[in-house]
Amino acid sequence: MDAISLKHITKTFDSFTAVNVLSLSVPSGSIYGFIGPNGSGKTTTIRMIMNIFHPDSGSIEIFGEARKEAHTDRIGYLPEERGLYKKMKVRELLQFYGAIKCGHSVTADVDLWLEKFDLSSWANKKVEALSKGMSQKVQFIATVITKPDLVILDEPFSGLDPVNTNNLLDAILELQKEGATIIFSTHDMATAEKVCDYIFMIHKGEKVLDGTLNDIQEKYGNDTLRIRPEKKIANLEALKGIEKVHDFGQVQELRISQDADHQAILQTIMKSNRILSFELMKPSLHDIFVRIAGTKEVDHV
Amino acid sequence: MYKVLRLTLREYLAAVKTKGFIIGLLLAPVLMSGGIIASVLLRDHVDTRERNIAIIDESGQMADFLIAAADARHENDLLDPETGEQNKPAYSLFSLAPEDDIISQMNVLSDRVRSGELHAFIHVESAAVQPSLDPEHGSINYHAESAALDDVRGWIRGVANDQLRRLRLQNAGIGENQVPDLFNWARIEPKGLLSMDDSGEIVDAEASNEIQAIAAPIGMVFLMFMMAMMGAMPQLSAVMEEKTQRIAEVLLGSITPFQFMLGKILGGLAVALTSTLVYVGGGILFMQWRGLESYIPYHVLPWFIVNSIFLIFMLGAMLTSLGSVANDAKDAQSLSFPAMMPMMVPMFVLFPVLKEPLSSFATWLSLIPPFTPMVMILRLSTPVSIPSWQPWAGLVGVILFTLLVVWAGSRIFRSAILMQGVPLKFSNILRWMTKG
Repeated sequence: MDAISLKHITKTFDSFTAVNVLSLSVPSGSIYGFIGPNGSGKTTTIRMIMNIFHPDSGSIEIFGEARKEAHTDRIGYLPEERGLYKKMKVRELLQFYGAIKCGHSVTADVDLWLEKFDLSSWANKKVEALSKGMSQKVQFIATVITKPDLVILDEPFSGLDPVNTNNLLDAILELQKEGATIIFSTHDMATAEKVCDYIFMIHKGEKVLDGTLNDIQEKYGNDTLRIRPEKKIANLEALKGIEKVHDFGQVQELRISQDADHQAILQTIMKSNRILSFELMKPSLHDIFVRIAGTKEVDHV
Repeated sequence: MYKVLRLTLREYLAAVKTKGFIIGLLLAPVLMSGGIIASVLLRDHVDTRERNIAIIDESGQMADFLIAAADARHENDLLDPETGEQNKPAYSLFSLAPEDDIISQMNVLSDRVRSGELHAFIHVESAAVQPSLDPEHGSINYHAESAALDDVRGWIRGVANDQLRRLRLQNAGIGENQVPDLFNWARIEPKGLLSMDDSGEIVDAEASNEIQAIAAPIGMVFLMFMMAMMGAMPQLSAVMEEKTQRIAEVLLGSITPFQFMLGKILGGLAVALTSTLVYVGGGILFMQWRGLESYIPYHVLPWFIVNSIFLIFMLGAMLTSLGSVANDAKDAQSLSFPAMMPMMVPMFVLFPVLKEPLSSFATWLSLIPPFTPMVMILRLSTPVSIPSWQPWAGLVGVILFTLLVVWAGSRIFRSAILMQGVPLKFSNILRWMTKG
């Protein structure tokens, strides 16, 4: 069963179309990554799933049923912009957020979660005394304290240091193990590649990618040749069959056009340059993202 | 409902657990009745410096008498009979012969008043005793820097009028002794209406007084004003802050916009009822302690509570929706003025309504829903009998209007609460209200 099923949803604000005839299915128990440039429609899509915005057309199903108010209790939501009552104490705040999410007291779980995130000593401190990272953790706890079946995290890693990012990732994976479906939007392609079962990319309100990382990369094929030359090679773009060159200093990544022979290109390069290593690879998610977001006109997928 | 009540509880605790609430609870009545308290405290602090006053008497019949009256006052009325200390200023009057150019003479005296040498001067015109003979010269004028509010003028008016009557009797050839109680002024006693008790006996009217006529109605309206200020007004900035600090979106991930708005309004209502409990309870206990229980308008209290609840609901819906429209403190400030109109208009017309509670102006105003709660309570608290259908009609109007405001407010709130940086325009508010 799909945890979420979006069918042809559209949302406009005055003359601006934020989401345009979008369909998407999120299988239960999966981790689904939402990627896309700023202003592409990720947050609007999430807000429609959360019933904060209503689509102008199309339908939304949650856990196989048409979206209704009762579903909200089963969805944990971490918005992109964090919002905590600064004057409340951490424990009181978590009790409050938990109670209005599920409709009953969550007092018993608060201390367990605080301990898990190493925040026990801050339980009776006001939120305004917390650092940004700690506030982020408190906000995450508030999202998951009711053990929701579906967790939606909008940019959960922004502002976190690597240690806290890993802690959060561990917590997300643990939630998945316990059966929850996770959706998170991110600009961190490396994390999305590592963690997500499925990746969905939205651009200018339209779906441009959807599937597993492997499926997506398969669409592009082995079109990237990574070489480590002894000396930096200039004017590689001039070679026939090379569409684009990414120079990372020690390494250069060459995007090969679909009809070109990468062996022939490599041989041509090696005739006049000494190559220490080379690798034929699929494009990274980052690269795919940049290719799509950098294109003015995007073909529908 | 649990979610709404949980939000209500948070709002309530966030408000009442602050020092500001406790201080406000204590200070609000002090500030509201500051004038009365100040006048009581300053009652014994009288400026007892001597008042030098010149008299130019063109009639030739008043100056000597006024000087003698001032001397008599100096002898008999200047000292506190219990302490023997002077508790009033002495009035030192002296006469100046009128000059040919009386205007220049008065101009010189005016300068002496300005320099502080004189407190005032009195100009008795030539026909002051019989003004009907020459109306243009029949006045007695009191010239001072603050003549209208000067206590001396009040004293002069009393003694001068007594002397004028004496002189007019003399001119008519009637001796003062021939008219007993000539200077005994009648006091018109304010009394209520007679009524019939259960046994059919006619009950005499009770004496009416200022507490019943003024203090009780004004007290009721001020209390309602304070409730609205404490319970509804803070919603505007609170919602604006929750919007700008992005707390609103977190909450909307758990509750509906209507639950959000309702929780905030109920929280404000609970805060207002807490303060009312303190003020009404404290007021009743105080009145009982001072033996003034008969002045408590118990019959108005149920109307007061019901109307206050609807006023706070109405204002709460208005202010939370306007708070959702505001982008910053400046927006909130500019929106607060129109939102306060249901409270401000009744305060502007307090005295005309108090004086004529049955006038068509007062009646119609009390039936216009935004103003009904305060104006109707004002009318009901006066000793005048208001037709019994009017409070009910007013209440029906208020209930319907409150429902309309809650409906319109929730549509605005739902649309605006997540809109960041949308300019504050009436057209936007109207669009959100009509289209949702």
